[in-house]
Amino acid sequence: MKSAGRFNYRYIILIAGLVIMVFPMIYMVTSSLRPNNQTFTYPPKIFPKLSEITFENYAYVLVRQNFFMYLKNTLIVAVMSTFLSALLSSMLAYCISRHRFPGRNLLFGTIITIMLIPGLAMLVPQFELAVAFKLINKLWGVILFYTAWTIPFSTFLIKGYIDGIPKELDEAIYMDGGSILTVFFRVIIPMASPSLAAVSVFNFLYPFEELGWSQTILKIDAKRTLPVAITQFFQAHNRTDWGYVFAMTCLAMIPVIVIYLLLQKYFVSGLSTGAIKM
Amino acid sequence: MVRADRNIRNKSIYAVKNKMYLLLLLVPGLAVLVLFTFYPIIKMTVMSFFNWKIGFSQTSEFVGLKNYIDVFTDPIARTALVNTLYYALITVPAQMALGLLAALLIYGIKKFSLSFRLLYYLPVITSWVVVALLFRYIFSNQGLLNYIITDVLHISDKPVGWLSTRWPALTATTILGIWKGIGWNMVVFLAALQAIPLELFEAASIDGANSAQRFFYVTLPCIKGTILFALVMLFIGAFNTFTPINVITGGNPAHQTEVVLTWMYFQTFGTVGKMGYSAALSVIISLIVSVIAVILFRVIKPENSGGRL
Repeated sequence: MKSAGRFNYRYIILIAGLVIMVFPMIYMVTSSLRPNNQTFTYPPKIFPKLSEITFENYAYVLVRQNFFMYLKNTLIVAVMSTFLSALLSSMLAYCISRHRFPGRNLLFGTIITIMLIPGLAMLVPQFELAVAFKLINKLWGVILFYTAWTIPFSTFLIKGYIDGIPKELDEAIYMDGGSILTVFFRVIIPMASPSLAAVSVFNFLYPFEELGWSQTILKIDAKRTLPVAITQFFQAHNRTDWGYVFAMTCLAMIPVIVIYLLLQKYFVSGLSTGAIKM
Repeated sequence: MVRADRNIRNKSIYAVKNKMYLLLLLVPGLAVLVLFTFYPIIKMTVMSFFNWKIGFSQTSEFVGLKNYIDVFTDPIARTALVNTLYYALITVPAQMALGLLAALLIYGIKKFSLSFRLLYYLPVITSWVVVALLFRYIFSNQGLLNYIITDVLHISDKPVGWLSTRWPALTATTILGIWKGIGWNMVVFLAALQAIPLELFEAASIDGANSAQRFFYVTLPCIKGTILFALVMLFIGAFNTFTPINVITGGNPAHQTEVVLTWMYFQTFGTVGKMGYSAALSVIISLIVSVIAVILFRVIKPENSGGRL
């Protein structure tokens, strides 16, 4: 379609777009490398002089602030809620996709409806539940609710995937005297693993993102996850110590970017199965 | 015959066993859903009719529709709803259009396609807290944007108070929402474009269709289902907006920049603690989102999009 040799005009627009997409990020990194007291000088400088570059903000955040504790909390929440959500969602999705039981359509309809309701909209009754179960200031208080919030979309996506797995594979297991549990573990889990991976990458990043519920539940410093810790840190420093804040946000981005680069094909597959199924 | 009998008995034991396994698979997920989402939704609806008090010692009194009347007559609730709609109506179409544009451009290139995809997606994976802080910094009075406006481009003499008045603050948040959402739309639309059979484009070209005609008569109808998916997801997302407002303005000045969820949060945990009011507001938000989703599904029927996409 394109004549070879002519420069593709698309690159010009894409690079212009790229500058807009990436520039704020670069600005954040360069700001984190400037001495903290210089981050609000006017006129603002985008790139610090080489002699000005300092890692003192990072040292402050890593040594004086409990960055690794927040990271550990966030990772615990991420691992637990991702695991629970993947397990429970695939079990539900398998039952809905392959088996008839009373209330099956009602259950699937309810799951789809719940996807429409903002998680935070149930704030008050969920907070009461958290109080009743003594989950305040416990990581479980975040893990269980994140699991519950991510189950509907995960179930929806995995169910769509299981629908496409040929039933002959199930039949073969039944012929050998296998039960529905055998089918689930021998056929469904291995065959549906791409969709499990796809929902899991999103669920894993959710605790790095969510603020409203985590700041409600995690009130003590020792239990804070990164989004809460960063917000609290920003407010505690009179909303002006941008050097420290950006050192913290840059550090908080590292695990996210690593996960993204390692698993980026699952980000694409997760989004596209959702998008193309509709 | 004996053999057949045994088969039948074995089959029924087998069936009972399978029923138990089915329960085993269903119950854990159901329990979490029922306890942490179904029950709160019902409870929330009940609470919205009470002057709800948290704690055992206090009694909650039934007030009928009072909470709903309070929401509808509350000027700040109206402001919050208008702000949310403003955010949704600008960010949703803008990020879809720009995301689709990026997808079309990347679809048309051969080299560096993966690099562009990775970098355009970077804002999507970055936490809202991080990007909201970053935009607060860029849009602050002495910030980079004001510097560019006043001292580089000389559009205005004095710095714009981006974050201290309602519409500029909302606009800053909206720009953030668009910027952060482009990559998501790009990935979704790129997947849809790659699913279109190439023969369709070839056939259109043979029939003499130019690139604009190919876009409107081949590409758009083929990605109709994806457009619907993106619309629904993004509208839900827009009504879910909490973190950017919470971080950038905190609803200030004087609650002029609240969106529905930040206002509900303030009503719950702010100084007043009006639980019944927030519950009523939550019910209203949920109904609005559901109605919009149903309307979208009705208007764009994916089964008419010319084949399963």
